[in-house]
Amino acid sequence: ENSPAPLPERAIYGFALFLGSWFGFILYLIWAYIPETWLFSLGLTYWPQKYWAVALPVYLLVTIGIGYILLFGINMMSTAPLNSTHTITDDYAKKQQQKKFQEEAIPALRDIPISEVNRMFYLPEK
Amino acid sequence: AMEERRFRSASGAPIALRRRQHSACCRELSVRCPRLRLRSLSAVSSAVWLAAYGLFALSENSMVLSAAIFITLIGLIIYLHFVKIDQESLLVIGSLGIQVTSSYASGKESTTFIEMGQVKDVVINEAIHMQKVIYYLCILLWDPGDPQGVSEVVPLFQSSKPRLDCLIEVYKSCQEILEQRKTTPQAS
Repeated sequence: ENSPAPLPERAIYGFALFLGSWFGFILYLIWAYIPETWLFSLGLTYWPQKYWAVALPVYLLVTIGIGYILLFGINMMSTAPLNSTHTITDDYAKKQQQKKFQEEAIPALRDIPISEVNRMFYLPEK
Repeated sequence: AMEERRFRSASGAPIALRRRQHSACCRELSVRCPRLRLRSLSAVSSAVWLAAYGLFALSENSMVLSAAIFITLIGLIIYLHFVKIDQESLLVIGSLGIQVTSSYASGKESTTFIEMGQVKDVVINEAIHMQKVIYYLCILLWDPGDPQGVSEVVPLFQSSKPRLDCLIEVYKSCQEILEQRKTTPQAS
């Protein structure tokens, strides 16, 4: 079963992730701030250029900013235009079966055609 | 008999609905949009010319000024002839068809006729448009292959976008004519 309750395993995963993210952050700060000569003297010569310590966060922030705009644009593009039949019906509604009307029973759930809905809403009852 | 009532469009602009009954089975409904305002026209052209003057002050090239005048004139002509719609009207003739006319500010009129045999119904539909949900009137056409299905949706009053109260008036008028189709079967 899946339940969101706290479990000992989940506590251990959380703590390991916490320690790992702190370790990664301290490593990133060391890489970005300590001068190259000091790192060479320690024997760490094959680390990436410090250019990337600034470039990667900038890339990430620009991607997040573009992502907002892109998501908005994708949403607008996938909205059905006003003249498409998708605003009225879809494949499930076209293939639905008509169930027989039973007395004294709640009518079966179905997609009501738009003409019927309009008549009910906008034409006054006689 | 003719009557005119004032309504609001979806964006809040005042529009007027005119209803004319030509005969028992013929009705014309036209929606008039607000005309082009002189103050918005002068505001836009002043803004364009100020920007052009600023560019001229920076670049010392007098072609910028004549280009700005040219662009303003051509832009105004294109806007009046292709974009600004003054009046949209719907002429419903029972047993014949439905005619949709759009008149542009330059005087151009574009007309579409749909014969009654193709028309399934005229309904008020709701759809997402930009960031809003709007009500709009549309004509549903029969699907030749499927008696329950709809082959095409023709939206009406696209540029004036009346609100629901105006649409309900137009809907009731159209339904009165369309109901006559059922009571008087056509000779085929």
